[in-house]
Amino acid sequence: MQIHRKLSVFVCMAAGFFLIFSQLADSKTNDFEKLRRESANIKTLQADFIQKKSMKILSKPLISEGRFYYAAPDSFRWEYLKPLRSVVMAYKNSTRRFMYSDGKMVEDKMGGAQAMKIVLGEIAGWMNGRFDQNPSFTAAIHEGAVTRITLTPVGKSMGGMIEKIEITLSQKAAAVKSVKIIEDANSFTQINFQNVEINKTIDPLVFQDVK
Amino acid sequence: MKKIFFLISTIFLFSCQTLPLINSPASLSGQKSFTCPSPFLKQKYRLVHSIETRMAGNTQSAIIGVTLADPFTRSVSCAIITAEGMTLFEAESGPRGIKVRRALPPFDSADFAKNMIDDIKLIFLAPEGKLQAKGRLADGSTACRYQENNGEWIDVTENKSEGTQIKRYTSSGALKRQISFMSTAGNIYQRIELRAKETFDYSLLMTLIEAQPVKTKTFKRK
Repeated sequence: MQIHRKLSVFVCMAAGFFLIFSQLADSKTNDFEKLRRESANIKTLQADFIQKKSMKILSKPLISEGRFYYAAPDSFRWEYLKPLRSVVMAYKNSTRRFMYSDGKMVEDKMGGAQAMKIVLGEIAGWMNGRFDQNPSFTAAIHEGAVTRITLTPVGKSMGGMIEKIEITLSQKAAAVKSVKIIEDANSFTQINFQNVEINKTIDPLVFQDVK
Repeated sequence: MKKIFFLISTIFLFSCQTLPLINSPASLSGQKSFTCPSPFLKQKYRLVHSIETRMAGNTQSAIIGVTLADPFTRSVSCAIITAEGMTLFEAESGPRGIKVRRALPPFDSADFAKNMIDDIKLIFLAPEGKLQAKGRLADGSTACRYQENNGEWIDVTENKSEGTQIKRYTSSGALKRQISFMSTAGNIYQRIELRAKETFDYSLLMTLIEAQPVKTKTFKRK
């Protein structure tokens, strides 16, 4: 049960990242099937991100920065550069998680990598545009000045952890804006993406070498 | 019968630890001028640390800890966040006791909140107990010893080589926690190590991300 809840947390966090990128091809569409077809065009993707964590105990948001890489079908690197350095890498069915300690990156011994491996199964679905077929969430698209996708957890498995996830896309194609993960009325995480590059060659070592 | 008594006495003696001896200053003037080490907060503060958890010397995980502590009211609020921004634990302690707002695995055990609040108070707030002894340890460290209401002992020590340390002992003298303030300059909370003696010993290495004094609201009478 504990592992399931732990995985759910990872799934929620990863969902925000990957769902947004699966929508890049056409931000104007409100048709899930069309999005599913067009998401197949994404072969590689890389972006910088700034994460702002807001909660009652913090007088100002806690800011983290990092970089994200993806290569189809299932390679990715999700890296936080500051304030706490950590990396999750997946390559050819192997998932590893590292954190910075004593001047070097050391591998996570707490099962975080194993959890991420299971999450990858979910991600593979999202990268194929099947974001509305995850039974853990209800997905809805709202068109307006910006396109907003709202994911609402279904059932009790996410109860008390995630209230909802809001993803905003700009009207221009490939212009990723942000992901907002709302935990409760007093706590949310806003992730803003910038310098997004699609289908640009990524060195395979990025997914294998932690340095 | 004598053998059993001897055995029980031996077990009892070995189970009781001895607190380090503190030699009080010899002269009265020395006693009066003696100043106890005090690495504790002097005003309400908000501190954000990265925290590495270690077992058997190996880093197990890394998280972010947020602490809001008020030395005047002894109220404490705290949160544990993952690098990804997920809140794993959030609680506060005040006059009405401990209130856990959020606790996800593995931070949802019954004693976790109390132990964490106790550790935060040990690090950042001066002991509530009565000063029982002050002076120097055998290695020359300045030392002050307090006894808490529950019978536990807290030693606050300071020397040039090891800096400032806090040690918490059980009422029978067994060491339970050792806090080392490892920063020699700047903010004393820059780098803190907590060593815990439990069924499975562990340590926490805390590195300061940001520290911010918090102004306490004052209310004017009309």
